[in-house]
Amino acid sequence: MSRAAQVRIAIAASVLCTALMIAASLRSPVVRAAANTSAAPTGSVKDYASPLEILFSRDGRQIYVLCQQSDSIRVLDAHTFAAIKSIAVGHLPRGFSLSHTGNRLYVTNTWDDTLSVIDTRTLTVVATWPVGAEPSSVLEDNAGKRVFVANRISNDIAVLNAQTGAEESRLLAGRGSSYMTPSPDGSRIYATHIYPNLQARRTGVESRIPPESEITVIDAVRGVVEQRMPLHRAAGVFHVAFSSDGRLGVAAQLHPKNLVPLAHVEHGWAFEDTLTLFGADIGASVEVPLDELERYAARPFGVAISPDKSRIYVSCGGSQIVTVVDVVKLLHFIHSHAGPYVQDLSASANYVVARIAVGRNPYGIALTHDGSRLFVANRLDDTVSVIDTRTNHVVSTIKLDGPAKVSPLRHGEQTFYNASYAFQGQFGCANCHLDSTFDGIEWDLEPDGFGRDIVDNRLLEDIRDTEPYKWNGGNPDIPTECGPRTEKYFWRSQNYDSLTLADLTLYIRSIPQRPNQWRLAHKQFTPAQERGRTIFNRVADKFGAPIPEQNRCSYCHIGAKGTNQKSFDVGTRKATDNGALLDTPQLVNIALTAPYLHDGSAGTLEEIWTVFNAKDKHGRTNDLSKDELNDLIEYLRTR
Amino acid sequence: MFALVISVLIVLLNCGFAPTKQGHLEAPIVVTAAPAYEPLAALHGGERFPQGAQLLLMRDSDVQPLIAGFAATADADVSYDASHVLFAGKQHANDAWQVWELTLADKSVRRVTGSESDAVRPLYLPGDRLVYAQRTTHGFQMEAAMLDGSAVLPLTYFNGSAMPANVLHDGRILFESTYPMGDGTTPEMYLVYSDGSGVESYRCDHPAAHTIGRWGGRQLASGDVVFTHGSSLAKFMSPLAHETSVAAPSADYDGNIIEMADGTWLMSARSKAAHHYALMMLKPGAKLLQTVVTHDSEDVAQAVLLLSRAAPNRHPTALHDWTTANLLALDARQSRDGALASAPTSVRMEMRSTDGTVVTVGTAPVEADGSFFVKVPGDRQIRFALLDATGAVIRQERGWFWSRRGEQRICVGCHTGPEHAPENNMPVVLTRSTTPVDLGGAEHVSITGGH
Repeated sequence: MSRAAQVRIAIAASVLCTALMIAASLRSPVVRAAANTSAAPTGSVKDYASPLEILFSRDGRQIYVLCQQSDSIRVLDAHTFAAIKSIAVGHLPRGFSLSHTGNRLYVTNTWDDTLSVIDTRTLTVVATWPVGAEPSSVLEDNAGKRVFVANRISNDIAVLNAQTGAEESRLLAGRGSSYMTPSPDGSRIYATHIYPNLQARRTGVESRIPPESEITVIDAVRGVVEQRMPLHRAAGVFHVAFSSDGRLGVAAQLHPKNLVPLAHVEHGWAFEDTLTLFGADIGASVEVPLDELERYAARPFGVAISPDKSRIYVSCGGSQIVTVVDVVKLLHFIHSHAGPYVQDLSASANYVVARIAVGRNPYGIALTHDGSRLFVANRLDDTVSVIDTRTNHVVSTIKLDGPAKVSPLRHGEQTFYNASYAFQGQFGCANCHLDSTFDGIEWDLEPDGFGRDIVDNRLLEDIRDTEPYKWNGGNPDIPTECGPRTEKYFWRSQNYDSLTLADLTLYIRSIPQRPNQWRLAHKQFTPAQERGRTIFNRVADKFGAPIPEQNRCSYCHIGAKGTNQKSFDVGTRKATDNGALLDTPQLVNIALTAPYLHDGSAGTLEEIWTVFNAKDKHGRTNDLSKDELNDLIEYLRTR
Repeated sequence: MFALVISVLIVLLNCGFAPTKQGHLEAPIVVTAAPAYEPLAALHGGERFPQGAQLLLMRDSDVQPLIAGFAATADADVSYDASHVLFAGKQHANDAWQVWELTLADKSVRRVTGSESDAVRPLYLPGDRLVYAQRTTHGFQMEAAMLDGSAVLPLTYFNGSAMPANVLHDGRILFESTYPMGDGTTPEMYLVYSDGSGVESYRCDHPAAHTIGRWGGRQLASGDVVFTHGSSLAKFMSPLAHETSVAAPSADYDGNIIEMADGTWLMSARSKAAHHYALMMLKPGAKLLQTVVTHDSEDVAQAVLLLSRAAPNRHPTALHDWTTANLLALDARQSRDGALASAPTSVRMEMRSTDGTVVTVGTAPVEADGSFFVKVPGDRQIRFALLDATGAVIRQERGWFWSRRGEQRICVGCHTGPEHAPENNMPVVLTRSTTPVDLGGAEHVSITGGH
């Protein structure tokens, strides 16, 4: 007799099927903030609002949203979230802040090197000041006398006259100077940078050292650098926040593992996502992880501390979450456990109390003045999440005006900034290609052997049609580079589907060259650049000897992008390199991408030839004087 | 004889769910019914169903054999789209267990494995693959294969048994073995990728009482892994390096939790060893188990839902075409086991064959920063011991592990635990040479004195 035949069963089916019912998801309301935008939606990436930063007016009645790719500041009613106005600013704004009085809103426009000054009473641009190279954030001092502007490309902070915009001085900051935060009393400015500082280059695998970054502390009254707070092993530092009493400072940052062979991903092997804590509450600064054993808080960016100093909120752009830290628990942990903490992926259990899912690529965050709500700018789905800080739930989502449909290009961009494809969501494309550029460090990838073929990370700008890819030219196209290779050796986990890969490829191929800071208008050259161009194109050396075709600069670095897409032995092979043939890199914005050569062994363009070209295999250059080499470099900077 | 305790209904009504029509079961359940069920027997090479077993399909008020024409069936696993069921079956009582696949639409079955020894506990893997346990001369070893039975790939390589428990969302296979692996007797949970690489303990807070094991792990939607620990349940959570207890009545649990949409759990349990396992329901935090299905003369176990589910991530294998593997330790001095009595200067590797013969393959230097870099034989059980300058063993691995052929793997230290991330330092051993010391097993190698 079968067992089933023996059955006397009276299954309360309702029990099981009810238990299996999926509870209706609690969805927060979506509010649409339609604005009087001037741009007609076309589906191109530029038309998407792309909210990057967010802040409140001094009276708390208005919300200002910096919308990067629509070149605008959207002004919303802070209570109804209704759109009040869209203010057109310069190209690709990145940072903004209110003046001390709140009457002015300063906006940095990165790709036209200007600062928009908005009158917050009329919500109109009242001045546009030319500033430095790729201005990325701005602050006015308490006295209303100076405006500080962080310039990403020139690695400095310009000090401007707050009335005229005239530049008074420049302060050396970290490489890729980008974000600034005032201390609560306004006496100091804390500036961070996204690329690690260049260090003295030493050749060979035996001399590889960890990246170093800093928080540049500026005396805002005197307009001078007061201190450089080292951030050891950090590469990619973003926003800083302070508690209202000024006793606790927090910086969001990346902690890459570029010196360890990238053999696998689990256990924080590629990146950790950390906070550096400093201030009187801490004592000596400490770094604490946000990650867990099997979940990561990829790419922490925005930071805010609640007015009562009970919570730290951190937007994590790659993980699409806001991480909530209990400050009391955090301080107790730090004061009761000996550091360092960053190697312990179970440390965050002591102080992280919530991970709140928000929209795609959350960046800037802002607390209401009473701390009851946290607003989160979700850059890649054009929304602002509103979080109830008592419950840690998203209670509203504000949809900014823009194209309703996600274009393939936009989808590709979303994929680029999404960390969910890597094993356990540890990192994404944008971890190594910060803001779709590079990271300024060298990596040890596994398939070439441990400690072998150390490779410098290359810039993505305008890489379309520069194939093959990789320094050894091993990948014939972007789909190969970003598809199976990335799945196997980077993500170590199932990759995107083929349609998503196609969209990602479309996005990467569309990344443009940012404005070249050394290039004059109308294809003009300075005299030095002109002399350098002549050297670049020469066919004979100074002594009249013909330079073999393959040893001319212009042979390998030909064309608009400066590559003939072939591989050569330029004499830079190290003992730990598996081969001597190297893909000819494009020269696009070469001035920005130090260090140089395939393994980053040349700290400057000059070192390529003064240190690493003893046998003239990397072009005939040993006949050049120092001035002539300088001229050549001046020309290269225009590429 | 089966019976259902109706009080469960009351529990759920109190949760605010409206009952659907009684007698109508929207989510069928497949269970294994067996006169005797010894869930851990296979870890020691034994038979889990010594008196046979049968898969039953429970739908609404009806219970029927899931599959006709078999002398024994067990170990059901439902495909991600709920169209097929993998199971272990014997067509005749004297047959070995083999893995079969049932197509639910037409009730057809086909054999997947083709060995002469037992093949049990199949689980679906992404990419039209499966993993199962294959009986060998040295215990049950896990194998992966395509669903048509081709491309068989051994995943485990040690003297002992490994039984698949669950495929985690991240694609790793959670399996049961014993601790220390290859030598111990205490059930413990381990992880391995679906190409056999990356084997490690899920957590390294191995229970101090070595007679109380951990097994029956199943991952919930939250990512937590709930499992049986002694006479209760416990779980691993992403933020923690150690297990946390689960409030549950004391009982013999079979693990293998089914998580319902409302958060309640279904699992098999029994109050005493003399009783039979029954299908029970537990609302996390509740003090009482609610009986769902019992049978007065059989165990009811291994419940699975006939529901579609999300597929885990596929693991893209990156193994090289080598016969050996490379292992890099970043700092062998680091360990959960505390500080070493003296500085290690070399590391000794031993290799064990399936007949239990242990040979010392050789030694390699340990650098001042604790790093060493060695080439080891692939797919062989190995273990390391740290030696001081006098050649004395100052720390010895407790169990055995393997590296797959073509695997390149890095350890932070010696038994540091999965919570221990590497620091971003250049290992000194790689500054000396990027060529690993060859402990590939061809001949004895002795290189000592790392610093």
